[in-house]
Amino acid sequence: MSLDQADPAALPAAGPATRPAGADGSRKRGRRSGRWWTPWLFLAPALLLFLYFKFIPMVSALTMSFQDVQPYLGNKWVGTENYATVLQSLGFREAAWHTVVLAAGQTAGSMALGLALALLMEGQSRRLGFVRSAAFLPVVVPIAVVAELWRIMYHPTEDGMLNSILGLVGFGPSGFINDPDSSMASIMVTGIWRGAPYDMMIFLAGLTGVDRGLYEAAKVDGASRWQRVRYVTVPGLRSVFSILFILAAIRGLRVFTEVFLLTNGGPNGSTEVVMTLIYKLGLEQNRLGVGAAGAVLLFVATLILTVVVQLLRRRESK
Amino acid sequence: MQRSRWIGAGCLASALVLTSCTSGPAGVDAKQDPKATLELWTRTKPGGPGEQGTLKLTQAFEKATGHKVKVTAIFDDFETKLQQRAAQKKLPDLVMNDVTQLGAMNSQGLLREIDLGRIKNSKDLIDRGLESGKSLDGKQYALPYSAQASALLIRKDWRAKLKLDTPKTWDDFAAMAKAFTTQDPDGDGKQNTSGLAAPLSTKRGYASWYFSNFLWAAGGDFITEAGKGTYKPAMTSKESVEAMQWFRDLGCKDKSVQPGSVTMDTPPTNETFEAGKTGMFVVGPYLLPRFDESLGKDKYEVVPMPKGPKDATVLAEGGSVYLMAGSENRAGQDAFVDFAISAEGQKVGMAGDTGFVVQLPVNKTVDITQVRPDPRWQTYAEAYRTSGRYAPSIPNWTPVRQATADTVNALMADCGLDLRTKLTELDKQLAGILKEQGIAAS
Repeated sequence: MSLDQADPAALPAAGPATRPAGADGSRKRGRRSGRWWTPWLFLAPALLLFLYFKFIPMVSALTMSFQDVQPYLGNKWVGTENYATVLQSLGFREAAWHTVVLAAGQTAGSMALGLALALLMEGQSRRLGFVRSAAFLPVVVPIAVVAELWRIMYHPTEDGMLNSILGLVGFGPSGFINDPDSSMASIMVTGIWRGAPYDMMIFLAGLTGVDRGLYEAAKVDGASRWQRVRYVTVPGLRSVFSILFILAAIRGLRVFTEVFLLTNGGPNGSTEVVMTLIYKLGLEQNRLGVGAAGAVLLFVATLILTVVVQLLRRRESK
Repeated sequence: MQRSRWIGAGCLASALVLTSCTSGPAGVDAKQDPKATLELWTRTKPGGPGEQGTLKLTQAFEKATGHKVKVTAIFDDFETKLQQRAAQKKLPDLVMNDVTQLGAMNSQGLLREIDLGRIKNSKDLIDRGLESGKSLDGKQYALPYSAQASALLIRKDWRAKLKLDTPKTWDDFAAMAKAFTTQDPDGDGKQNTSGLAAPLSTKRGYASWYFSNFLWAAGGDFITEAGKGTYKPAMTSKESVEAMQWFRDLGCKDKSVQPGSVTMDTPPTNETFEAGKTGMFVVGPYLLPRFDESLGKDKYEVVPMPKGPKDATVLAEGGSVYLMAGSENRAGQDAFVDFAISAEGQKVGMAGDTGFVVQLPVNKTVDITQVRPDPRWQTYAEAYRTSGRYAPSIPNWTPVRQATADTVNALMADCGLDLRTKLTELDKQLAGILKEQGIAAS
């Protein structure tokens, strides 16, 4: 943060907007008597909050990741041992792979479904507003409730809710979250159900930015409905796509609550993701150093992903 | 420009200084003040019956001794919050928590050793309970205030309808579970019931926790003592393999464990029993008040677990009082634990229909039938006395429980897995855990 914000502040002449009002006559004196701190003063409340609730915890997490955390006896430096514990722990690689699969599946599914919903619900009609709110509900419902709801729907016997529907079309009862073969897909579906409406809202906002004239022009040129979506809407939403992609990917990598509540990584480790593994190694076993190391690793992965997407975007826009 | 950079650097530096402040010297000997208010943390839901029970106990203690106690009930992330207080070098004076936390808290240096000479009521403690408060090196670090063991709950009306006897052997047990599954005990004409309710999720190690009742009764073990405070993995022993095979057959062959068990922890499992979806449940006595209300006292019965291949060993659990390090009122700490295990303290702790903190008394001189005439409690007390077995107090029991829970969960979820391969893998994993904790037998 510091450079972007600090530059105009340190050189008041360069940025009149940041200068306090009525400073014209006192510019000289202001320079001498240390007016440089005025912007810092305005920033101070936010910075102080960030410092205590963000930066200090982040730095201490980083420190802890190199320590054997024993608050009472005094923490011991153990170098990279915690990282080794996480990386070599049984199932870390599997968990990382599961996380990627789940993140990719949920991101793609939510975006596809979100776009479809957005296209269906685009428009001005008052009734649409109601339908949109209804469609948005999954995002507002607390995740604990969502998980409990889906657990009931996924009941693994023939009289389970989804299984009775499957039964109507002639498919046998599925174990859903209770079967190692279908548990991952089941969690993914729950995630898509929850994530799609959120994406829909952002798509709807993006759709209003697409020039209506282009649609008409395409129509005049004889483009079919599908072609209009393919060649007008989708390119018009490019920036929305990349924002959504970053948001969804970050959300995907950090996935925890729905997995924790639905399966806690089981059955047979088939849904273990990085976060549930970190939770088990770090918090349940009360080894905070190991937990911190896992969190730092996840942070680095998220950072790399974000930077790569940003670079790709920049290259594309050039 | 320069200055603003300095500010940034200053912020960062102060952040570093502040964080490094947290690692000071180890626990200092606090100046003693026998009048200081004792701070007590208990792992129970704030505002719940557990907190009420603790308050009743502390009030009686205050009246009896004149010490003052401030009770704080914490349920979620109890251990993490305790760590935070440890970082401030200001631990509560007393902690009431699960017995299995002994190893973890002791290896973090959070506990002070208890001098049994100062605790006059300790001579009345049940041996089993006294043992549960010892660390691997034989030093006393905790004293139990409440115990519990598992017994078998059976739907009485189902059993009567199918004209079955209470199970005396594991074969009876399996046969009853199967009958409850296939013979429509609730008489609604549908096959929608299961024999055994079992929380087999990996969460908090439930699968392992539940399975231990069966494993130990078969003579098997998760890890077994190998002398001089060392342990070795034991999940591939003949007894362990047979126990796992038998338990697995209940789910995989007979299908008499409730569907979805592998993703269920206790709350949804309790519901299956309450809702009449399952007819047998191996649990501690703490669920009786709940089931009496939701299901009805007349609908179910409590019987001891049938004898397994070896004996009828069941999991013993309970709560302990821990005296925390660095207290400025050690006399008060001693007085509290002494009161909590005394006959008077135990009776206060047991009083009431709900909101009691003592499940089964740990004091030999307290006769449970006099405080609780309900014979079902007698069954539990008997199970604890004759067959209860605690998890060993190794430095950190959680990884062992997690690893075994993962394997039990896997074997129950996927009936196609090879049992022996899985258990061999588990043993390897357990060996690693024991080595890491420095208690592996060479």
